[in-house]
Amino acid sequence: MAAAPRKVPVEERLFSLVLALLATEQGLTKAEILSTVTGYAHRYASQADRANLERQFERDKEELRDLGVPLETLDAPGAEGDTKLQRYRIPPDRYQLPDDITFTPEEYALLRLAGQVWREGSLSADTRRALTKLQGLGVRIDDTVIGVAPRIRTRDDAHEPLQAAIDRGLQVTFPYLKPGVTVAEERLVSPLALVFHEGRWHLHGHDDGVDAPRTFLLRRIVGPVTTLKSPATRRTDPEVAARVLDELARLWQATTACVRPRPGSEADVVLRNRAGTEEAAGEPGGEAALVVRTTDLDILADELTAFGADVVVLEPPALRDAVLARWQRVVAAHG
Amino acid sequence: MAERAAALGAPDKLAFLLSLVPYLIDQVRVTVAEAAEHFGTTPEQMRKAVTLIAMSGTPGADGTYTHETLFDIDWDDFEERDIIRFRAAPMEERPRFSAREAAALLAGLQRVAALPSFAARVDILELMAKLARGASDAPVALAVRPGEQAGIHGMLVDAVAAGRRVRIDYVTTRGERQVRDVDPIRVEGIDDAWYLRGWCLTREAERTFLLDRVASVEVLGEAEAHTSEAADDALFQGDADDELVELALPVTALPLLADYRGADDTVRIDGDRAIVSLRIAHPGILGRVAARVAGAVEVLGPPSARSAVLDWARAAIAAQGTDPA
Repeated sequence: MAAAPRKVPVEERLFSLVLALLATEQGLTKAEILSTVTGYAHRYASQADRANLERQFERDKEELRDLGVPLETLDAPGAEGDTKLQRYRIPPDRYQLPDDITFTPEEYALLRLAGQVWREGSLSADTRRALTKLQGLGVRIDDTVIGVAPRIRTRDDAHEPLQAAIDRGLQVTFPYLKPGVTVAEERLVSPLALVFHEGRWHLHGHDDGVDAPRTFLLRRIVGPVTTLKSPATRRTDPEVAARVLDELARLWQATTACVRPRPGSEADVVLRNRAGTEEAAGEPGGEAALVVRTTDLDILADELTAFGADVVVLEPPALRDAVLARWQRVVAAHG
Repeated sequence: MAERAAALGAPDKLAFLLSLVPYLIDQVRVTVAEAAEHFGTTPEQMRKAVTLIAMSGTPGADGTYTHETLFDIDWDDFEERDIIRFRAAPMEERPRFSAREAAALLAGLQRVAALPSFAARVDILELMAKLARGASDAPVALAVRPGEQAGIHGMLVDAVAAGRRVRIDYVTTRGERQVRDVDPIRVEGIDDAWYLRGWCLTREAERTFLLDRVASVEVLGEAEAHTSEAADDALFQGDADDELVELALPVTALPLLADYRGADDTVRIDGDRAIVSLRIAHPGILGRVAARVAGAVEVLGPPSARSAVLDWARAAIAAQGTDPA
């Protein structure tokens, strides 16, 4: 064992750690791991290095958990929380993909197509690792090209910290600029789900400042997301995201506005192409008006303001006022 | 599949090693070249990974690595014939997906399933259930629901597939209606927006058209084949002819301008105000920029742009039948 010390690459140390923890039934203590497993053992003899080695082990445990490796910590009977006596193991039944889960070449092709949706950030990295694991199942690559997937960007800086905070069940704070206002406000939130709807990313969470559920637009988180050490006040569950999407869809269906674009204008073309737009029931003697849908009248107000004189906002009065106020602010700033 | 990038981090390399082991055991006997191709990596990387695995194992009962607890490969086959064959393996489990990996693929599948060509596929739902069951933990809360596609989307996708020239009635960002003849190259989706990339015969150049701005499509005869010269990211190039305008806005509102920013724009931070120079095609776009921040953007200059924005906003107010402020 007294081989000449060599630099062990990180992946070799992590791989050896997984092998050792998978093979043990009763678990290994930290001392056993650090003194025997490749990547730690050659540094264990040096007392001076011991503290660094322990910190390294803590980071490696986090790394494995982030990768979805189910790492179990077992307390010694009668010594709960004593980290010296705790034993670590990876239960094979929780690590191993169930035998009945296999993928056909066609399913594999579909999953690769699904992976194309993400081309940046942590979702793209997660996808890449999932596809590597699929390759490990030995599914033959089908040559049939089944198209190019549309892509969804995750450019908002808030995306990654929020996803990580949901993953770890921690509270966050961030400055939020509500639609229609000009000054951002700091929010304290237990984040529960990230959903993409109407072309935008939303965070759903429990706003701990006002003690109520809230949905935020990521685009309007205008400063850094700070992840706190305090646990979230609500737990997420696998159905949260679908429930929030259903709520947004109901809201979208129910929230309508009536506008009259100048015929043939940019507003006319764009609003008619907008999902959910319908012709308004004919007003007597009036020009063609459109019913458009939105999840939030303030967001729609921003969009309509952009059309300027090419659009007349008819209903509801609150939307008409909101759009007028935006134009009046532009006049006030430049008059 | 693209070549595995050289600079992948330790998490990717570990996922690769953990996936490679059950694959190699299942294959029983496989050439380095074949295994490398299957994983989209190079033969050198594959040899390196196999060597690493072959020297790994589990510490035995006395805490040392011995022959009984190490992976064992046929070294003669490996070194002389480039063939991988394991004789013993202390581990052969196929790893589950992490909650985040499963969530990323599930959300991607939700996007794909909403495409008209996949709408009737029940197998996608079965695939989703299988994927969730194959995760080591409940997939993190992430979901996407794309909007409906306009009818012209289907017509243009068909035109690309059939190699047909199309005539589109298009409204430009300047608000002008134009009829363009286009040989379509591809239809691309980004977020909830769709774009037609094609060779514009009217302009004799490759152009991108936002489907939202297409009023109607007429299918003409056969198209000439064109290969795209533009990279994906070249969708939103600013026009060098556009006027350079200077804006002031609160620093916190700067991210809301992301869609309008070009590579050569300058930003100066002055206290809590940001001064930005942008190339802007027409006052309507300036109005749109101002709308983003509920009217907190001020156009500083040139004076013509300042008065154009003022006129634009006054005209908009007048159109509502209200007195301008």
